Amino acid sequence: MKQMGAGLILLIMMTVAAAAGNVEETFAVCGGRVVPIAGPEIENGVILVENGKIKAVGAASEISIPPGIPIIDAAGGWILPGLVDSFASAGQAGGDEISDPVTAGLRILDDLNPFDKRFEQTARAGITTLMIGPGRINVIGARTAVIKPRGLTAEDMVLLEPASIKISLGEGPKAAFGEKGRLPGTRMGSAYVVRKALLEAAEYSQKRRQAEAEKAAATRKKDAKPAAAPARNLDLEPLADLLEGKLPAFIECHRVDDIQTALRLVDEFGFRAVLLGAEEGWKIAGQIAGRNIPVVVGSMGTGPKREETKNVKLGNAAELVKAGVKVAIGAEDALGIGAREELVLSAALAVKAGLDRPTALRAVTLTAAEILGVASRVGSIEPGKDADLVIFTGDPLHYQTRVARVLIEGRPIPVPEQLRKPRP
Amino acid sequence: MIHRKAISAAITAALIMAAASMAHAVNEEQIQAVVGARILTAAGFEIDNGVILIKEGKIAAVGAVGDISVPAGARIVAGAGFVVTPGLIDSHSHLGLGPSGGVTEDNETSDPITPQLRIIDSIHPEGVGPDQHQFRNALAEGVTTVAARPGSSNVIGGQSAVLKLRGGTVDDMILRFPSDMKMALGRKGYYASKGVMPTTKMGAVFLARKALVEAEEYGKALDRRKNAGAGDSKDAPARDLKKEALLKVIKREIPVHIHVSSADDIMTAVRLSDEFGFLRLSLGHAVEAYKVAGELARRGVIVVVGPQMITYDDQGRLVNLAGYLKEKGVQVDIMTDADVVQQAFLRCQAAVAVKYGMLPQDALRSITINPARTLGLEDRIGSIEPGKDADLAFFDGDPFDPASQVVMVFIDGRAVYEAEKEPK
Repeated sequence: MKQMGAGLILLIMMTVAAAAGNVEETFAVCGGRVVPIAGPEIENGVILVENGKIKAVGAASEISIPPGIPIIDAAGGWILPGLVDSFASAGQAGGDEISDPVTAGLRILDDLNPFDKRFEQTARAGITTLMIGPGRINVIGARTAVIKPRGLTAEDMVLLEPASIKISLGEGPKAAFGEKGRLPGTRMGSAYVVRKALLEAAEYSQKRRQAEAEKAAATRKKDAKPAAAPARNLDLEPLADLLEGKLPAFIECHRVDDIQTALRLVDEFGFRAVLLGAEEGWKIAGQIAGRNIPVVVGSMGTGPKREETKNVKLGNAAELVKAGVKVAIGAEDALGIGAREELVLSAALAVKAGLDRPTALRAVTLTAAEILGVASRVGSIEPGKDADLVIFTGDPLHYQTRVARVLIEGRPIPVPEQLRKPRP
Repeated sequence: MIHRKAISAAITAALIMAAASMAHAVNEEQIQAVVGARILTAAGFEIDNGVILIKEGKIAAVGAVGDISVPAGARIVAGAGFVVTPGLIDSHSHLGLGPSGGVTEDNETSDPITPQLRIIDSIHPEGVGPDQHQFRNALAEGVTTVAARPGSSNVIGGQSAVLKLRGGTVDDMILRFPSDMKMALGRKGYYASKGVMPTTKMGAVFLARKALVEAEEYGKALDRRKNAGAGDSKDAPARDLKKEALLKVIKREIPVHIHVSSADDIMTAVRLSDEFGFLRLSLGHAVEAYKVAGELARRGVIVVVGPQMITYDDQGRLVNLAGYLKEKGVQVDIMTDADVVQQAFLRCQAAVAVKYGMLPQDALRSITINPARTLGLEDRIGSIEPGKDADLAFFDGDPFDPASQVVMVFIDGRAVYEAEKEPK
């Protein structure tokens, strides 16, 4: 009963906040060290926020603060854009749709529970944007969504949906379907499943485009009879979008041969792709860089190693960057130091292994936002962007630094005090 | 039996030392002096510019430069610029037993009560599964001693061992065996799925009590036989490996370590300890221990925190598990549960506790002297004090900062890891 009461209070608080709608308010964050990511760090910076957007950012000497507006004092702190977690599974009630290896018709949006406590917890840790997607069972899984961890409905949370197609290569689908005697029971089986689906989608796309073109022509010629549009096919529509460049694919691949399969698929079909995981990416960094394919480095190797992730090393991100690959660092979603809340620790570990600091911080903010396709809204502190801000108690890459305050679109995320005193 | 084992272990150790002194430039008789390092003794004090004298593998003296006279002819280990800690102790490990989540050698799931099993009979001395250099990797991050334990599928899982990561065979690595009896409460998943007891929590405790009572009766029968004098061997109870193992618990020869999570299971473990008078009780994971922290502190129950380092209470407040329990007066160890978190990241696990407010000196104790106490080895390892084994970790900076590198590791006064001699 007691638990329920607390939950209700929180719910009411959230409702009030949501009902308030746009924050018709201007305020300033002052006194801290601003790390805009998009530009040089600013000692004693000022960020002006208006209606949930960043209006101006600069040194205290450059920005005039309108008199009378509320001030958030960030003295001593470091202010960064809200962190972006490039791949997460928070909010999902169940696991993957294991009935079929190809489920492109599904949307993660329809399995997103805004009341999942993990959203509140990630927001408090300074993660204000996440891509939510399916696990590694389906060869082609549900379409992902980029969300912010706040709001009462999935729609409130969404920043971009659909955000990408999720493809999974390697042991995931093999184990799930192969054990049941179903396709794919091998790696080549998974590649075949993808190629077959994409070839069907190519045909569908061709018919769809032809029908659209003829329809457009018909509006100019009154008596022309345009070809009928192909019957809607929920599985092929998103894959046609992929082939037409409207959506990217996030391809989960860990071992070097699976990464190469991903590259082979990209070469054949020419779609936009992002590699997810890529623990052995360092072995073929040049091949990845040569194709301009970004990587979301999935694991720093702090957690359990599977056979296909056994060659992970802390230096993966640094070596990929050195080869010219655009790299985001994702949270591990494991335990202890691998917990989602410790996303910046992953960046710090990458720095330990040779990645430079600015690139590491960019890898959990702006680079991630660019890879997710939401960089026009989030990822840096620039005028016009959402006022998603994290105030850290110090250098975010130092292990003792904590998150002091978090704002999403100018609204503070309530952070209950840490438990210190004994319970009554 | 035990006696014979100890003798053979001593002979083995002597042989190794003899072999080492022949092969190695450092004569074991020769005194070594670590000079000029910052020394975190984990014994309640730190020395900024200190000396550690090592003789015959043991710490002979520790103090400030100037206070300790370095004997002529001593081999000098330059310590300037380094931070020296006791060799780190991972209070709970499953290394050498197979990959977490894969086929492992630590859960004999044919029977929920297997006190007769000995973890040393399952351990691969280098590591097994995806990472075949697990022990070496842990050593390279300053871990010198681990508590290797059976898994948690069984109510009574078997006998644990304390290993020093000095390489060789498992027998070479044993510091103490058996070191404790591993049990698990509140985890009924495996047997419940088979419809075999335990399918409830109370079923699990019944099985544990039954086995302990039987061992007690077995002990009484042995005593009766002994008191009757050595005559007719027909009355002697037949050797029973299960009861023999549990009799060590009944006779308070070895302590008990119990895997638990929720507050009710934690108190059930305490109830069991009270009934049978366990020598010492340590609880592994114990995520809800914070709810009954006062009780645990009052009774001297040890909590081994990890791999999860933080949780959230019913009001949504963040709970720093290790820091909070320490504040409440509980002895806290920090573990990796390797390879749930890779053992090499033990100091980073402690760093997460520091991040959320635990004092660094307390966090260091949680991975040094506290585990030594839990394992009953506080007279041998866990702090830099005269008489103890010269197990030392040399860092080039703050040991909790992930950016700091381990430059050297000593076990029993021998450099078993030197970063500069490692293949790049």
